[in-house]
Amino acid sequence: MIDRGRIGYTTPPSAVTIDAWRVQLFCRATGETDPSAWSPHAVVPPTFLKAMETEHYSSAALLTLLDVPLHGVLHAEQSFDHHAPVRIGDELQIERRIERIEDKKDGALTFITVDTNYRLAARLAARSRQVILVRNRLPST
Amino acid sequence: MTFPVRLTLRCGPVSAVDLALFAAASGDHNPLHLDAEVARSAGFERPVVHGMLTMAYAARLFTQSFGAARVRSLQTRFVGVALLGDTIELEATLQRTEAGDAHYALRAYTTAGTELAAGTAQVAAAMP
Repeated sequence: MIDRGRIGYTTPPSAVTIDAWRVQLFCRATGETDPSAWSPHAVVPPTFLKAMETEHYSSAALLTLLDVPLHGVLHAEQSFDHHAPVRIGDELQIERRIERIEDKKDGALTFITVDTNYRLAARLAARSRQVILVRNRLPST
Repeated sequence: MTFPVRLTLRCGPVSAVDLALFAAASGDHNPLHLDAEVARSAGFERPVVHGMLTMAYAARLFTQSFGAARVRSLQTRFVGVALLGDTIELEATLQRTEAGDAHYALRAYTTAGTELAAGTAQVAAAMP
């Protein structure tokens, strides 16, 4: 049983700078061919912010905090809302919050909802939501 | 501004190199995506394609037509799992335009017919 006391846990915000190489590696890995993505102050691809979370506090680290083994965990949902363009060279303030932990199917499955805020100079530039699916009855290895 | 009614893209077959490159680019090093043994023990025949790679492919439906700056929102529910070697089909269908923005329904599936993701996207009428 995952500790419900962690609902509402918010990571201490940290600042992360978006380096060009990081965006270019992401574009190469995803086959991004939009030529503007390769310019020096390019707006980052719509799902790139997820990669920046790992520089702050990764979902794997959040699962460790919750004492959930990575084994058997799947990604159930993901969304991004972009309020202002985020570009190469920008410094983002990131914070993540555990919004919900809910059991389904008599506890066979647990859904963990994590919201992430990305701010540029104190202004909300984007927000994402990740729902992680934990399969509790998977045979252990 | 008129928006295309339908956008499509085919990606893959997803190779082991694609998964390794995406693990490095995304920071998601879960061995479920890289190690056949770990994938098997989690109940999958082959390493699992990162859901975020499928979603990044889906984002390309829009970036290739409109550029990244015009994508206001993107949402996906992962309903199935793509495996190493699968080819992924992406499809967006215009649902409506509202205040100049286009709202699309999204779908990702393998060429073998496994549904992978369903979702929505909102694209701004012009550069914000």
